[in-house]
Amino acid sequence: MITAHIMPLTILLPLVGAYLILLVGSKYRLFARNAALAITGATFAMVCYITYLVSSHGKMSYYLGGWAPPLGIELRADPITAFLLLTFASVSFFVVLFAYDILPGEIKGKVVTRYYALYLVLLGSLLGIVLSNDFFNIYVFLEISSIAAAALVAVNGDKLAMEASIKYLVMSTLGSGTVLMGIAGLYMVTGYLNLDFLAGALPQAYANYPLTVSMTLGMLTVGIAVKAALFPLHVWLPDAHGSAPTSSSAILSGLVVKVYIAVLLKLLYRVFPLDFLAAMPLQGSLLVMATLGIFIGSIMAIRQRDIKKMLAYSTVAQIGYVFLGIGLFSEKAMVGAIYHVFSHAVMKSMLFLSAGLLIKYSGKRTIEDLSGLGRIYPIPMVAFSVGALSMVGIPPLAGFMSKWYLGWGALEANQLPFLLVLLVSSLLNGFYYLPIVIGGFFKPAAVAIKEEKIPLGAQISLLVLIAATFFFGLFSNIPVNFLTPTVQGIFNAFGGGI
Amino acid sequence: MDNLFYAMVFIIFLTGFWIMLRQSNLIKKIIGMNIMESAIFLFLVAIGYVKEGSAPIAIDANPGLAYVNPLPSALILTGIVVSVSVTAFALGLTVRLYQHYGTMDVDEITRMRSEEL
Amino acid sequence: MSDIIVRVVTRLMIPYLQLYGLYIILYGHNSPGGGFAGGTVIASSLILYVLAFGIDDEDLRLSPSVARIIESCGALAYVGIGLGGILLGANFLSNKAAGFPLGIPGRVFSGGTIVLLTVSIGLKVASTMITLFVNIAEKEGEEES
Repeated sequence: MITAHIMPLTILLPLVGAYLILLVGSKYRLFARNAALAITGATFAMVCYITYLVSSHGKMSYYLGGWAPPLGIELRADPITAFLLLTFASVSFFVVLFAYDILPGEIKGKVVTRYYALYLVLLGSLLGIVLSNDFFNIYVFLEISSIAAAALVAVNGDKLAMEASIKYLVMSTLGSGTVLMGIAGLYMVTGYLNLDFLAGALPQAYANYPLTVSMTLGMLTVGIAVKAALFPLHVWLPDAHGSAPTSSSAILSGLVVKVYIAVLLKLLYRVFPLDFLAAMPLQGSLLVMATLGIFIGSIMAIRQRDIKKMLAYSTVAQIGYVFLGIGLFSEKAMVGAIYHVFSHAVMKSMLFLSAGLLIKYSGKRTIEDLSGLGRIYPIPMVAFSVGALSMVGIPPLAGFMSKWYLGWGALEANQLPFLLVLLVSSLLNGFYYLPIVIGGFFKPAAVAIKEEKIPLGAQISLLVLIAATFFFGLFSNIPVNFLTPTVQGIFNAFGGGI
Repeated sequence: MDNLFYAMVFIIFLTGFWIMLRQSNLIKKIIGMNIMESAIFLFLVAIGYVKEGSAPIAIDANPGLAYVNPLPSALILTGIVVSVSVTAFALGLTVRLYQHYGTMDVDEITRMRSEEL
Repeated sequence: MSDIIVRVVTRLMIPYLQLYGLYIILYGHNSPGGGFAGGTVIASSLILYVLAFGIDDEDLRLSPSVARIIESCGALAYVGIGLGGILLGANFLSNKAAGFPLGIPGRVFSGGTIVLLTVSIGLKVASTMITLFVNIAEKEGEEES
């Protein structure tokens, strides 16, 4: 029974868990974190099972209420979505494990229950976005995720976080309003909301209403770009990710920004025909914006003194890589983009978690104050260093492999300048990450700190993330082999690239 | 004349968009948000409108009536709820910010914050 | 806020707003409407009350803990009805396929599980809106346990 209904159950588990926590957690203080850990763990296990089913049986579809599309809502899992699901479920599980003992000290005691409930709602909506094969369902989950994400920023009630949260909320409503307008436009010209039916009806619709279809594509892309913080629409990101509590920053920067990229992937590769995209000025603008984002994000990150702000600006740059991979319209670059979604999720959550830990123990947020901490707190500093080196793209770490595939994709698409972009930006990444690593281990401590014991959950979580960074750098062929047939299928269906 | 409706929708949409981006007062931003979303709902109403249509429920076999596609109405209803919840959340945050800073102007808040640092 | 006009008009409007909300919830399967919209209407009537009479008015105020229990139960009821479809051997949220009786079209109790679903959504949405509003609008340090 579970096998047949695994997809809706996977989305439902965190959502039901959130309400159970709200219901029970107000009475029993410790219930919330145990339940959250168990639920994210179970979700992770179910997502692993979905991945196993997809790898052994191929694509899966599920019709809610037994209504076949176009009438009903369809859930769909294929290798790309399974890979994204694994990313989201695993990282959010380790963030909860990390926060197990840390969180009660970081946010007000009474809010902890609500925090975990919001966290699980966010996880459920992320899984829902990835699994939905229906545009309106995607929109509803998008809105749930943006409200939950904004609430996770403001949860602590301090004024900086609330200011960031309302900016985030306004910008992301702007984005989702534009997305909804685009969805309405698509519905108007085709009469469908299911992605497969849309793809079937769009060529005819484009022949009838070329202007409307182009405008729709533009609105959808701009809306998603706002929510995914593509330069120059990133203005909300540094404040929101920089001022949120540690585990919120980790999941916001690592996962929430990525889910919009999953939507963009669905849109560009499942819905719109590739030859139509080639006729639009989309590729050029995506590439230019991505390149600018990479450079300006890195330069802004170099100028930051606050470590969390720096990491947030680094996210702006890293999102640029993913958009670059999507914009190159080549097979290897697409694999690289999807792989980077995963590796950046692991690296950035590790960076935010270890930075949060160091901030908590040293009581300082600036980069200079982190020097010398590596001798007192080896595990967080090593985790930070591995994440930082992986960001810079040092082999054999996971960040290197995604850049490798992006570079290969640039060669494949005959876009040599972007190879240079990758190289120069790696250098820029080195400028702001390496001094922290070197200072952390070799400089004397800037402030006197007494040693405190790091909670076990946080240690395990950081060690697993370190191991994952190494593992997926050394054995990148496992996920890449899993993804490649699907990606090839996308490009072959339209006669092989552009 | 049919397209006039869509043009109006677009004008309203852009009005809301502009208010959201350009106004620094948070309440005005939230009003702009609602204007923008109303435009989308109007658009969906316009798509789904059928002259003298009725709800698609076969109460008795009456072939004379035109049925309305329920999907756009369902979309509008969901969209309205989403926008109301976002508005509620945004207003709540605005109230809190006002308690902290004594102003609802984003630029003013940013200025006050940079002076504090 | 001691404006007499606001108070009197609010007091006059609230019953009609709530009745209208209930109507929208119960007729969600026969005409445009449903739990989302109806719940919002009911919630907005209560928010209107809070706005007119102040947040500290104890007479009609829905206590946050009760609202939270209603909220959770509404959501869990929705999921429970959906899971009922699976237990009866059909897909999640199945209605007729799972064997729920459909009733006479056009009546209030028709459409199988849809009425139950809209009612549970209505409860959920209404209580969520209220908790959201009350929680955030309350003064700092007054958060409920």
